[in-house]
Amino acid sequence: MNESVAHSSARPRQPAGRIALGLAGLVGLGLLAGGCGRSVPSGSLVLAQVPVAPGASATAADVLDERYPAGSRVLLVSPPFGPDNLRVLSRGLVAAGDPVVAPDGRRVIFVGKMAPGQAWQIYEGRLGGQRPKALTAMPGGAMHPALIATDEIVFSSPVPKLGEIWTAIEPAALYARDHAGQARRLTFGRRAAVEPTVLQDGRILFVSARVDPEEGKAPSLALFTVNNDGSEVLAYALNRDGAPFVRRPRELPGGLIGFLASESEREHATLRAEAVRSARPFASRTNLFPGAVAPCRSLEPGADASLLACFESRGAAGSENRGSFAVYRIAPGETAPGELVFDDPAWHEVEATRLAARSRPMGHMSAMNPERDTGILLCLDANFTRVRVPAGQPARTAERVRVLAARPAGGSEALGEVVLQSDGSFMAEVPADTALGFESLDAEGQVIHRLAPSIWVRPGENRSCVGCHEPYNRSPRNARPLAVGLPPARIPGPSPVVTQTTPTR
Amino acid sequence: MKRRGYIALMLAALMGSAGLGVGGYFWSVGHVRRWTGRPELGYVGCNHCHFVSLEKMPWSHPRPRHAAPAGLAVTPDGTRLFVALDDRDELAEADTATRKITRRVAVAGGPFGLALDPTGERLYVVCRDADRVAVLDTRDLRELDSIEVGTAPVSIAFGRTPAGDRLVVANSMSDNVSVLSVAPLEELARREAGREPYAVALAADASVAYVANRLAIPADYLSRPDAELTLIDPAGGRILARHPLISAHLSEGVAVVPHRGWALTPLIQVRNLVPITQVVQGWVMSTGLAVSQGRDAVTQVPLDEANAFFADPAAIVVDPAGQRAYVVSAGSDAVSVVDLDKLGHWLAHADAATRQDAIHDLSLAAEYVVARIPTGRNPRHAALSPDGRALFVSERLEDRVLVVDTASLQPLGHIVLGDGGAADPIRRGERVFTKAAHTFQNQFSCRSCHPDGHVDGLSYDFDGDGIGDNLLDNRTLQGVGKTEPFKWIGKNPSLEVQCGPRFARVLMRTDPIPPADLKDLTAYLESLPPPRWERKQQLELTPAQERGRRLFFATVTPAGQPIPRDRQCHTCHRPPLFTNRLLSSVGTKAPTDATDQFDAPHLLGIAHSAPYLHDGRAKTLEELWTIYQTNDLHGVSSYWSKHMLNDLIEYLKTL
Repeated sequence: MNESVAHSSARPRQPAGRIALGLAGLVGLGLLAGGCGRSVPSGSLVLAQVPVAPGASATAADVLDERYPAGSRVLLVSPPFGPDNLRVLSRGLVAAGDPVVAPDGRRVIFVGKMAPGQAWQIYEGRLGGQRPKALTAMPGGAMHPALIATDEIVFSSPVPKLGEIWTAIEPAALYARDHAGQARRLTFGRRAAVEPTVLQDGRILFVSARVDPEEGKAPSLALFTVNNDGSEVLAYALNRDGAPFVRRPRELPGGLIGFLASESEREHATLRAEAVRSARPFASRTNLFPGAVAPCRSLEPGADASLLACFESRGAAGSENRGSFAVYRIAPGETAPGELVFDDPAWHEVEATRLAARSRPMGHMSAMNPERDTGILLCLDANFTRVRVPAGQPARTAERVRVLAARPAGGSEALGEVVLQSDGSFMAEVPADTALGFESLDAEGQVIHRLAPSIWVRPGENRSCVGCHEPYNRSPRNARPLAVGLPPARIPGPSPVVTQTTPTR
Repeated sequence: MKRRGYIALMLAALMGSAGLGVGGYFWSVGHVRRWTGRPELGYVGCNHCHFVSLEKMPWSHPRPRHAAPAGLAVTPDGTRLFVALDDRDELAEADTATRKITRRVAVAGGPFGLALDPTGERLYVVCRDADRVAVLDTRDLRELDSIEVGTAPVSIAFGRTPAGDRLVVANSMSDNVSVLSVAPLEELARREAGREPYAVALAADASVAYVANRLAIPADYLSRPDAELTLIDPAGGRILARHPLISAHLSEGVAVVPHRGWALTPLIQVRNLVPITQVVQGWVMSTGLAVSQGRDAVTQVPLDEANAFFADPAAIVVDPAGQRAYVVSAGSDAVSVVDLDKLGHWLAHADAATRQDAIHDLSLAAEYVVARIPTGRNPRHAALSPDGRALFVSERLEDRVLVVDTASLQPLGHIVLGDGGAADPIRRGERVFTKAAHTFQNQFSCRSCHPDGHVDGLSYDFDGDGIGDNLLDNRTLQGVGKTEPFKWIGKNPSLEVQCGPRFARVLMRTDPIPPADLKDLTAYLESLPPPRWERKQQLELTPAQERGRRLFFATVTPAGQPIPRDRQCHTCHRPPLFTNRLLSSVGTKAPTDATDQFDAPHLLGIAHSAPYLHDGRAKTLEELWTIYQTNDLHGVSSYWSKHMLNDLIEYLKTL
């Protein structure tokens, strides 16, 4: 047996060798052509520099103008870290930031702007220092790049105007750009989906606004996940349990999801590094560096179990003499910023990340059927909820569920109702790629629970939930829902005025 | 003239060939119609019924044997570790200080589980393939005695009762437990347990033996499957209690917690009644721990986390102080460390409703699981040193034992038993088969539903062909080689197709298994023989079995009425595989099924793969004909008496 194995494995070796040689040659040529001949020392960092004193320029029009004023740039910084070991990756752009390194440790993508007045787009930097290559040409711009398992780029678009990120009529949504350059829409909620990052399990983690029953209040941001085909949108963490505004979630060592939190959405707000444990994300929100008073602008995994964080180097709480942001190496739980890695006082160093290979996130085989324009929604028990009945009030039992769709100008439209089975289950065929909400109704038609339009199904997607506002991180009981013994109730699509999403797929 | 002759000859040959071809085709169509009732040939070839022999099956060929560690036992002084090597029919002894193998000895019959007496002088070895318990002298590793027990014993525990020393043995294939006296070595009782008893542990005072059963007991169609924790009196072998483990299976370990009166059983909480519309949040299954407190209260708590799963829990050991439990995850290559003080605190403060639903709360494990220790591939067994300072974990598919310092929870090193078998595609394929990393968040492996390549006895509702439609009974993979097509509707022409991208889309929800791994996986699946097939070949049939055999091959009824060929048992279940690998309609279509044509399964080992029919609606073989027979379509059974049915089933059990 061993002989035959050896023989069969030896046979293809020759052509394989030739192919490998050919490929190596091509790669070599490609490297020369691409100007990647300049080596990159190990331990290098990629980061954004924002001028401490921005030059006089047009006032910020959108959220990225404020975050990356004119002159902001993306750099490759090599050890020993200092002004002599810099390479500008965003050469030719008037502003750039938000660098992301691909899992192979060889590609750097970031957001940039070619000229004042032009839209922000996603660029790929060239490690040799040549001009970056534009990857997107999205109307309204693109921001917050990330990379999924297939090396496709995920980003958020359009770039919201300043102060309108959570109120825009056309909210920013997540898109994936395939290798042919086509962008396909992934999220269809009525609130913006921004700041995506890709988890090791392959899902895209992003920030959006929680749309709770008490709609109309200031948005409370939370973390959500979605598969890389836009299916299975799910709340991941945060539930009005801390500072309301969050940004830049990142998967960190030790089973932590780190993010920056603040009381205000404006860029100059004081940002604090916080984290949740992926083991129990809804019950573990904590200050990542308890006692650290310096504001933090970014958080990325470092070497080993350490973190790379960009803190304000001299600023302290109450101090008027604020300094510049610099790069520090720090371990979770530490109270001081840790070891200073790189600081140029003329610049804010932010968003520092290692230029190093890391394990590639898991992929996802899509079960979508693009030929269809509906999906199936299965709820196991609409009466199963985490919402407690106020003391003294009788518990009410839902008998129907009303399906809602969002209206562009706010509010929602009822698409239809589904009668619950005796076990509380229902199954409905619902329009795909439309923000859907639900109201559970008692026998008199009174609303018991309400979920404003915020979730969606993709074409051909089968989507399930355990209950209505069920407890977080809850697995279902092993029981056969009665609803699966019947054909799904068909819920018609919304009227044209309600249809607000035009998927590109 | 000569040329004309050649032309005429050639024309005649051509016409003859064409005539033969056309005639052969029509004869073949008629032949197939006569034998199967199929109106056309379709993809039917001669080899569906002919030229098949067991000797040609890939699973009948010899395969490389590996030093895969199974059961472990540490001597009372902590100096020596015994390792059962079932695949090699060997027992190894290692020095725990040097972590070197000191001796190896042959033990016939697949030594699998081990138990030491309190003096450390006698080692009791259950031999899974030989249905026996061997007694070894630990000084010279000489076999002193042996006794026959039930079928396929896999676990053994020693206890000192007021009535004398006892051994309790879990016989996995005969679904019973043997209680043995040690002096003399005799079987005192053999008691029915649940389905596939797989692990035994005795209370410190030997007042009760806890037996974990690996599979759920077959339940009514679309009913919740429950496994059983069987409580037995080791002194006399009396059944004390049967605790249902709600919606659980794959319990391969059990441990008693000193000073607390608990028994802990790792398990998989299955959710097969819920359509598989998603995998996230443990929708298909999750792992947990059944905490038995006293004789009535069993609470199931999760071992998984909200976003990380620890598939296929196998062995469990508890430290002598009763403060920590170590649960190995065979699919996720990790040991979960459970702080029993924290678990006890949670149990003490949770109300009844919370406890009842605890297993479904994936955020709960963070309360008491304090660490996860990474291991090599496929940890299956574990042992602790008597002082609790060293944890030994068998890394079965690496041919080695991991040694962990329980104070720091850091690895100290390995006891190397073999080379890992990386050159063997079957071994590599088993690694793929048991690897949960192929599924989203490590939720399960192929083995989670096919323990040892066999069945979990459950039916599932995959959503790819409609929610609530086309429920599918999980079929055995033992003996599956060369029985294509696969899937109940015969849709998949090869194992590669069956286990490839389709599986990634409907079940794993990740990337497909890479082609090289898929090839190895296929090699492994094809190497799985039907249970006990070699031994069954040599058995003589009892009179009842012989009567059943005649019934199986009957072509006429006792009254002389001919049985139509396409309804004779042996037409579709044709020997030697007992399948013709064709689709047939036997009147079993349910309202939710899209077709009435189902693949004829092979019957090798059929007695061990309940439930039956494509959707698993028949709990037993009897029910195939007593409840689910329709108009004599599934064999002509209307003339059978109860005794004839019993005879037929006795025969089917021999296959």
